[in-house]
Amino acid sequence: MELLVAQLLNGLVYGVLLFLMAAGLSLIFGLMNVVSLAHGSFFMLGAFVGLSIFHLTGSFWLALLLSPLPVVAIGVVMEVLFLRPLYARGHMDQVLLTFGFTFIFYDLVQTVWGKVVLTLPTPEALQSTLHIGVGVFSAYRLFLIGFGFAVALLLWLLLERSRIGAMVRAGVDNAEMAAGLGGNIPALFTGVFGFGVALAALGGIAAGPVLGLYPGMDTDILIPAFIVTVIGGMGSLRGAFVGSLLIGIADTFGKAYFQSIALFLIYLAMTLVLLIRPQGLFGVKFSDVSPPSAVTRTESASTRVTFIAGLVALVALVLLPFVLPEYQRALIAEIFIFAIFAMSLDLILGFTGLMSLGHAAFFGLGAYTVAVLGAQFGLNAWLGLGAGVLFAAGGAALIGFFCVRTGGTSFLMLTLAFSQLVFSVALKWRDVTGGSDGMALAEQPGFLGLSLSNSLVMYFMTLLFFVAAYLALRRLINAPLGRAFVGIRENEARMAAIGYPTRTYKLIAFIVAGAFAGLAGGLYVIYNGFISSDAVYWTASGDILIMTMLGGAGTLIGPPIGAAVFLLLKNVVSSYSDHWLSIIGAAFVFCVLFIPGGIWGAVQKLRWQGSAP
Amino acid sequence: MNLLEIDHLTCAFGKLVVTDNLSLSIGEGERHVIIGPNGAGKTSLINQIGGQLKPSAGRILLHGRDVTGQSPSRISRLGVARTFQRNNLFQNLSVAENLQLALTVRFGNPLDFFSVAARDQALAARVRQLLQLVHLDGWDGRIVRTLSYGEQRQLEVAVALASEPKLLLLDEPTSGMSPTETARMIELIAALPRTLSVLMIEHDMTVVFSIADRITVLYYGQILASGLPDDIRADPRVREVYLGMVH
Repeated sequence: MELLVAQLLNGLVYGVLLFLMAAGLSLIFGLMNVVSLAHGSFFMLGAFVGLSIFHLTGSFWLALLLSPLPVVAIGVVMEVLFLRPLYARGHMDQVLLTFGFTFIFYDLVQTVWGKVVLTLPTPEALQSTLHIGVGVFSAYRLFLIGFGFAVALLLWLLLERSRIGAMVRAGVDNAEMAAGLGGNIPALFTGVFGFGVALAALGGIAAGPVLGLYPGMDTDILIPAFIVTVIGGMGSLRGAFVGSLLIGIADTFGKAYFQSIALFLIYLAMTLVLLIRPQGLFGVKFSDVSPPSAVTRTESASTRVTFIAGLVALVALVLLPFVLPEYQRALIAEIFIFAIFAMSLDLILGFTGLMSLGHAAFFGLGAYTVAVLGAQFGLNAWLGLGAGVLFAAGGAALIGFFCVRTGGTSFLMLTLAFSQLVFSVALKWRDVTGGSDGMALAEQPGFLGLSLSNSLVMYFMTLLFFVAAYLALRRLINAPLGRAFVGIRENEARMAAIGYPTRTYKLIAFIVAGAFAGLAGGLYVIYNGFISSDAVYWTASGDILIMTMLGGAGTLIGPPIGAAVFLLLKNVVSSYSDHWLSIIGAAFVFCVLFIPGGIWGAVQKLRWQGSAP
Repeated sequence: MNLLEIDHLTCAFGKLVVTDNLSLSIGEGERHVIIGPNGAGKTSLINQIGGQLKPSAGRILLHGRDVTGQSPSRISRLGVARTFQRNNLFQNLSVAENLQLALTVRFGNPLDFFSVAARDQALAARVRQLLQLVHLDGWDGRIVRTLSYGEQRQLEVAVALASEPKLLLLDEPTSGMSPTETARMIELIAALPRTLSVLMIEHDMTVVFSIADRITVLYYGQILASGLPDDIRADPRVREVYLGMVH
């Protein structure tokens, strides 16, 4: 009984922390239609800034009081300088922008505070334990619960009873109408954004003594907070509250009593809610489904010129390895693999208009299938590759089934959440996957009787797969099925009205993309001889997203260009700078702000202008 | 048997009732026009028939078959096509591609992942026919967003006709059109074969009376009057709440 109550309290503590996150996320989304992926970063920054204030002043309470201030300042600057100019564009661009910032903040925290887990001591006044009824409880945890409930009550009063609250509610109900109210709207947006950031930062510092402080705590809280908002319903404070407590308690009990499946418990809860009420328990509105504007829509038709250009490029790629040293051949082989990966993401992102933040999951499924089947059963890596493609497609079918039930923003959050689930499995199933230490490929296969340890053979093997994947995807895009994907990107409602069961088509696109990502993952293991859980972490999904967008989403040429630029750049930069993450983040932000069509989009634009009279 | 049977249909958002216990039937080949002031629930009714909006109660029967609450794609495959009040096309695709998408799902194999859609000659021929029908001959290659509003409206109708529907739902096909374009649209609708039934929302009274076999007047989600054009014209209640208002 005592244990039960103790678990319940722990669950409430976790729930309260989730609420501080989810409430801000939900308010910001409700008003501005933007899911701030940087929200976890603000939680993390709040905790670390609080730690520094604590070290300076020795007072936890000062840290709690003051740490939100600089974090809010950062958040407000981000909103005003970067998000605000993009309100006229699709909301997806803003979401992408916040994603770019998560890289920068992650790097910032790593640089300033290091990579190890730090602890923030419990404030002295609350170090005691209390005897209440059935047991002994930590005073700090009880304080946290009270604190969280007080914030919830305050928020509710603010929203329901104040003038600003009324404006926010009007905005949540009808953003267009609120926008029609005129001049105050930008200020209101900034205010609500800052307020949400403050709640997250407050949550971070309050969580410090309980959860510890480490880079990566951002996603560790963001993902369950996403799940909370999906369950509770986007834009609903009540949903955020109920969802948070539900998930907090379910997760805590799961970890205590069903350790082996605890990880899946909250995902199970989420999928159940999605099946029964896709808009969430208290959902007030659906997220919009506009695809990112960063998609190139002018596709050049297949002409003799493009055919000849393609042939010239192919000849160049065939001759290239003979003039390159060994190391650079290997680098280009890697580019071919990631080009396949990027094209597979582009099939859903650029051609179907579905923004996935979890595409690395399928790369990982393909890679681990090859490695694990080889290690456990001695299966030849080529057969493993076939199995990997099937396995990735199967995983995509399962995950996609739930994701395509929602649109736009929820799709994005779900793909991220499911990919983190795959990551968690890769990390925690150490006996099989080797966790973060990774696992080696048992035996490198031969290729047409040649040894892949020869860099030239490796080069041509990957080139062959790249060209085959490119041609297959090109064929698909120009076939009726591919045209249907493009139709969904352009106007899903119209596609439904002319008879396409669009959900099924989106699922097909997701599965095909998953299969090609699995192919890339399997090839990567054969190429690299090694795979670790890092390959499925959310940053890996971010990497492939930036490659695709940098090169130009919505074209098949763009993603390979993006992969090449990204990997060449990484190769050069990471040899003399530790801040690769910040550079990716900044590149991301730059890309969204200034070259929304990517490199290939910009080239095509020039060509169009050039050909115009 | 009537082609479309609407049976005590109700649709409500909380306290706002947009369709209030409404019953209506459309016969084979009939041209039925719905009129009514703004907020009468005309588009909501079309949206419920097309599957874009789920009714709260009542039934919609197509050829005697209950299709209430079915998905838009399913209803479309059962032979109902529609246009939208505001142009709802694939703005960044070519005119031909807009039609190809509609044709493929009905007559082709939309799951085909290998043949090149643009090289399908039979499809291209059908596209040219449809464009001729709506007076957009030779515009195949144009990107839709470069078309004028009226031309896009014509294309809307062509996309709807592509699936060879039994019932065509037109939501204000002439809105925003110039008088010349309007005249052409009337001519186009009037020339449609009688194997096709048309349910149309329209504001322009000239258009209404030149096309309608029967007219239904909606008022706050209910039918105020329904019958032959002459009866509607003569109905004092209609004159009071509707015709009187617009003169």
